[in-house]
Amino acid sequence: MTVERTSQTVDPAVRFSHVSKKYHLGLTRTSVAAAAWRGLRRAWTGSQRADDVYWALRDVSFSLETGRSLGLLGPNGAGKSTILKLLAGITEPTSGEVASHGRLAALIELGAGFHPDLTGRENVFLNATLLGLRRQEVLARFDEIVAFAELERFIDTPIKRYSSGMTVRLGFAVASCIEPDILLVDEVLAVGDAAFRQRCVARIQDLRARGTSLLFVSHDMGLVKAVCQEALYVEDGAIQYAGDTGETIDRYNRALDQRRLARLQQGHESPDAHGIVEIGRVEIQDGQGRAAREVASDDPVEIRISYTAYTPVPKANVLVRMMRSDGLSCFVLRTSHDGVPVALDRGTGTVSVSIDSTRLFPGSYYAVVWFLDANDANGMSRATSEWFEVTGRTSGIDHHDGVFEPDHHWRVAPSPPAGDELAAIEPRPHAAGASRD
Amino acid sequence: MNPRAVVKDRAIVSSPGVALDVTRAWAARTLRARYQQSALGWAWAVVQPIAMVAIFTVVFTRFVRIETGGVPYVLFAYAATVPWTLLANAWSDMAASLVVNLNLVTKIAFPRAALPAAALVARAVDFGIGMVLLFALVIAYGVPVTALWLWVPVIVAVLLIFVLGLGLASAALNVFYRDVDPAIRLFTQVWFYASPVIYPSSLVPGQWRWLYYANPMAGVIDALRDVLLHGRPPGITLVAAAGIAVVTLVAGYAFFKRVEGRLADVI
Repeated sequence: MTVERTSQTVDPAVRFSHVSKKYHLGLTRTSVAAAAWRGLRRAWTGSQRADDVYWALRDVSFSLETGRSLGLLGPNGAGKSTILKLLAGITEPTSGEVASHGRLAALIELGAGFHPDLTGRENVFLNATLLGLRRQEVLARFDEIVAFAELERFIDTPIKRYSSGMTVRLGFAVASCIEPDILLVDEVLAVGDAAFRQRCVARIQDLRARGTSLLFVSHDMGLVKAVCQEALYVEDGAIQYAGDTGETIDRYNRALDQRRLARLQQGHESPDAHGIVEIGRVEIQDGQGRAAREVASDDPVEIRISYTAYTPVPKANVLVRMMRSDGLSCFVLRTSHDGVPVALDRGTGTVSVSIDSTRLFPGSYYAVVWFLDANDANGMSRATSEWFEVTGRTSGIDHHDGVFEPDHHWRVAPSPPAGDELAAIEPRPHAAGASRD
Repeated sequence: MNPRAVVKDRAIVSSPGVALDVTRAWAARTLRARYQQSALGWAWAVVQPIAMVAIFTVVFTRFVRIETGGVPYVLFAYAATVPWTLLANAWSDMAASLVVNLNLVTKIAFPRAALPAAALVARAVDFGIGMVLLFALVIAYGVPVTALWLWVPVIVAVLLIFVLGLGLASAALNVFYRDVDPAIRLFTQVWFYASPVIYPSSLVPGQWRWLYYANPMAGVIDALRDVLLHGRPPGITLVAAAGIAVVTLVAGYAFFKRVEGRLADVI
């Protein structure tokens, strides 16, 4: 179990015991005059004012057993990042105990310390050193890092000439080469293209297979589910629920649904600056309308999208993109292409698209859903489904063989005899094609 | 720190080997970045002191006469300008080092002292180039090279210890109060005239000498002139400077360590 309040005989990889973390909001005004004024005011009013203090974490206890993986779920500002920062040693707890055992690597900021004028090679050494690698270790891993980042040709180019994708790739390659006992990942996979992201996930899985314990923060529930065995749902600086990943995601989703409903009832226009439509969840269902984790490639499948519209949207477009787990886009379905009008009233609802049979080759897939404005130009909301498996009778297929198997029929027929022309050809008694079978 | 707050097993982050590695790597980054796309490159390390000395020489040999004890004014001024440039540049670089690299401090756990230390190392490289040029100048002017030159490493050590202590404390304090940065710039200007850079310390009235030498830069500059230009061993003022330097480093480091854990929260 994830939450532990008693001490253990075997030390876990990570243990938080009654950890609280307090931030002083007032300290952001750092000039002598402001500080002096604050001090005077505080002296005048008596004690510290409550609104000057923000508790990022309150009495948080959990442990991560060696070799296990734990996801952290929760809205922005819930305290997830604070947990990782405490663990990484970036900041210290106000009270309580943070303990960890083994070498720890934190993927909180990729490419930290990168200098644009320096070459990729120079930056690798710099970044790796900041992350705690000794020079010998970097030398030993250098080729591997460059190969993983796929930057062999550009490694002696100043990174100001790199694309942002290349920079991110180099940053991840350095960070993930540490081979830590404990790996912390904070939302860093949100950057970079899908294919690279998938390789990052593969790399994390690879480290996991070698016994690395993992603490993983992501808003991508599908990814959390794919990567983590257990999860914590954190909000308001406290653990709201701890348990198996699927159950924790469900609890979190339910909490989010309730919040959307409450916001809707209170008449809020939108949850944040850019959202007039919010996608609740994207569910993959089988032909009978049951949530499915496995779908045969011949069977019908339905993608069901629940949404909350905070204002009426007279004309919207919904886009569903099917992604293979390595980041390949397999197909795209759009309401606008199919001439399906989408008008959303204020409130909640669902949009679903059913597919008679995907014909996809066996493998892992997930759907990415967008709500776009009338011109298909601006995304209003995006969400991804959990990963699901497509099964099929086709075996021995790998990604190089393609994406899908269309409806098809074979016909094998010898050419019909056609008079004189054929007669001119000497008939061969053991012609290969005809005599097989 | 709250006595109930405990952090265990942070050996990797705080190991001195890692701290040295980070210092070296960050200093190398600073130097490369400073000179990478510049035409003059490493020459910039000595352009600033040479320009200063050129101005001093014109002013204090043409307009105002300064008694230097028989030493050419160029040598006299340059011997002081090299250590002074280190103090002025390293101090302001070190004070800014944490605040400028806010993203590192809030996102990565590494020995924080490595950033101000690296800022000092990067300036110390410039200082080393300046010193080589100083030796060359001294020899070119025909001043005899003596065994007294063996004092130079000691004097340099006193200077570096002092600047390190000053810079560590300023870097940490700057995180809490941004006033530190402009205050340093102002103070450096005043300090310049309170140090024997353009004039000899013999001009200071006798009854104020004790206070004058509370400034370790006075002891360091005098000692450097004594051994390189005047051919005499450093005076007792170097001992005073060394004492103040060590106290500055101990106090500066202690202050830094005390607030280190809070830097990421406040910055």
